[in-house]
Amino acid sequence: MAALDGILVADFSRVLAGPLASMTLGDLGADVVKVEPPTGDDTRAWNPPADDRGRATYYLTVNRNKRSVVLDLKDEADLELARELIRRADVLIENYRPATMGRFGLDYETVSAGNPGLVYCSISGFGENGGRDLPGFDPLVEAVSGLMSVTGPADGEATKVGVALVDVMTGQNAVIAILAALRAREQDGRGQKVSVNLLSTALAATENHGSSYLATGVSPKRSGNVHASIAPFETFHTENGPMMLCVGNEREFRHLLEALDLEDLAEDDRFKTNSDRVANRTELHRILGERLSAETREYWVEVFHEKGVPAGPVNEIGTGFELAESLGLDPIDDFDGTRSPASPLGLSTTPPKTRMAPPDLDQHGEEIRAWLAQQ
Amino acid sequence: MGALDGILVADFSRVLAGPLAAMTLGDLGAEVVKVEPPGGDETRGWFPPVDDEGRSTYFLAVNRNKRSVVFDLKDEGDLALTRELVSRADVVIENFRPGTMERFGLDYESVSRENPGVVYCSITGFGRDRGAAMPGYDPLVQALSGLMSVTGPADGEASKVGVAVVDVIAGMNAATGILAALYSRQAGGGGQRVEVDLLSTALSGLANQSSAWLNTGQAPTRAGNIHPSIEPFRTFTAADGPLMVCAGNDAQFARLAGALGSPELATDPRFLTNSDRVANREVLGELIEGALADQTVTEWTEAFTAAGVPAGPVNDIGQGYALAESLGLGPVDDTGGPRTPASPIGLSAEPTSSRRPPPTLDQHGEDIRRWLAGQADSPEG
Repeated sequence: MAALDGILVADFSRVLAGPLASMTLGDLGADVVKVEPPTGDDTRAWNPPADDRGRATYYLTVNRNKRSVVLDLKDEADLELARELIRRADVLIENYRPATMGRFGLDYETVSAGNPGLVYCSISGFGENGGRDLPGFDPLVEAVSGLMSVTGPADGEATKVGVALVDVMTGQNAVIAILAALRAREQDGRGQKVSVNLLSTALAATENHGSSYLATGVSPKRSGNVHASIAPFETFHTENGPMMLCVGNEREFRHLLEALDLEDLAEDDRFKTNSDRVANRTELHRILGERLSAETREYWVEVFHEKGVPAGPVNEIGTGFELAESLGLDPIDDFDGTRSPASPLGLSTTPPKTRMAPPDLDQHGEEIRAWLAQQ
Repeated sequence: MGALDGILVADFSRVLAGPLAAMTLGDLGAEVVKVEPPGGDETRGWFPPVDDEGRSTYFLAVNRNKRSVVFDLKDEGDLALTRELVSRADVVIENFRPGTMERFGLDYESVSRENPGVVYCSITGFGRDRGAAMPGYDPLVQALSGLMSVTGPADGEASKVGVAVVDVIAGMNAATGILAALYSRQAGGGGQRVEVDLLSTALSGLANQSSAWLNTGQAPTRAGNIHPSIEPFRTFTAADGPLMVCAGNDAQFARLAGALGSPELATDPRFLTNSDRVANREVLGELIEGALADQTVTEWTEAFTAAGVPAGPVNDIGQGYALAESLGLGPVDDTGGPRTPASPIGLSAEPTSSRRPPPTLDQHGEDIRRWLAGQADSPEG
């Protein structure tokens, strides 16, 4: 049994945010029909990298648990099938520019008349008002939202996050909105339009930075790999690479000093409390760094682990997966030879489940067309 | 009316991921009771910065739409009231280290015995298994997961993201798991346990970067502000600072070339297709930067936007809010109190709402105690 058994999702979205949202619903048990133009989702062509069957790994990321059908909306017969699909659907997801769906008579006002229970989710870059014509590219939103301005070294350039994080978070917000609307529908049978956009998502995700700006009028600055209000809570260089050290309280600081054989520092006025350490962070970093650079990070991680000091290497992604495997977190979804990052959602009685690998283009076209043609 | 009207959330979580999940449910209409130890959520003390009433802006970020009660779990009387609260709750959220809730008989097994419909959400750093003892600090998970390894300049250091993003997306995953469990309960299933951990959250949030490793065995590296497979899709330096340009296809590139006054770039055999432009990105970058040098970021943003080329400044956060305001997105929530980042979730029939500013410590303690002790029918006082 799955949480979303019996829910039909008509997914008109492409690239990352929308497909991630529909995959999450699919992981939770929904039946997702991925409607693609004749050329397919753009990401099918985004390679390298490709897997050993030549498929773009980008596409494989967010498309499991879906069936694919090609419908050319410019073709009358295909458009009629698309309308029939939407009449039968519980959820519709689209991330075209505002107005595109309307051009085909597939906008919320039109389709909800024939299916008042439909939850219709639109994902846009900058909303459906003043920003309706602005293109929603993740790096552009990272730049204009201020997310880049707080990422990177204090004395260096503003830096983009190494994954399309705003797209990812927008997909998550779409899922939250859709699930909330499905729940509300259980009470009164009515669907609704749900909207998320990249800019609002990015701003909401700045959390304490956004809140700090809103309360003080001062925009926070980037501080590289240190923490603005805790020390030592930053990266250090060891003999063979960078390591992250997160000392969050006095007990952990004492244990850190023991591990480094620097117990005298505990009595040093410059480092007595966290505020002292933040005020004298450069000097503290120099003293700790000198000791840390003398050994490998594997050595230090083991020593710190024994002492209960939170620390770990700055891993590459593969090492991150190995760590999660070693901790029993099952981070890899391996279905039919296709590997994708496993769902991070744990549900004890209705767990996420993979039933289908990412489909080839139009893989389920015939069965879906036959079903839609049926009265 | 809200989508989660009638849902009672007992929120034992602290700091960021858990409180964000609880606030999201509150924004959607749930009644959230924030249970705090006598010292309060530690972020109440995380300042500067503070607002003009001296309150930590960190705390204010993720605690609207909640009522606060202090329960000292080491006190028998308070523990009894806490047990009463979880027996009445639809949702419990906690992010203590594994084992802590057990010590007080507030673990899932004990709570669900009394309250079989409860949706009980635990947020941990590294799961409840072999990683149970590991502390769930966001920067540590950014380092261990590989997120830092893909962030930062190609020839420089791995960089932390400037927001505790792993906490943020873990909070979103928790809200997703809880909503799915509530939906399933409504369809006739019982309650269940929902689990989210920071490491799994980070790895799945790495999306295509994770998939590249999983399907090729090659770990992606960082590329600074360029895009590994699209060009030009990166920052350039204009007269007064960096400008982000995202020309995702040939038509946009042709328009970019036109706006730069160098239309011949679009027909140059070195730059005809995206693959050509990726292969010759260095020389293309020099040509574009040369052309950009004589005008400001604002001037170029206007010129490119008019030409249909996605481009914009690298803003600070204040400028980001100003932009969202100008586009009519209502990015600021200031209902009856401090200004906080508004909910990014739009629902047409049951929109998110802001009913309560972030509470002071134990602000609703008296009413909640009376209600739990059976002396009042509602916690409203």
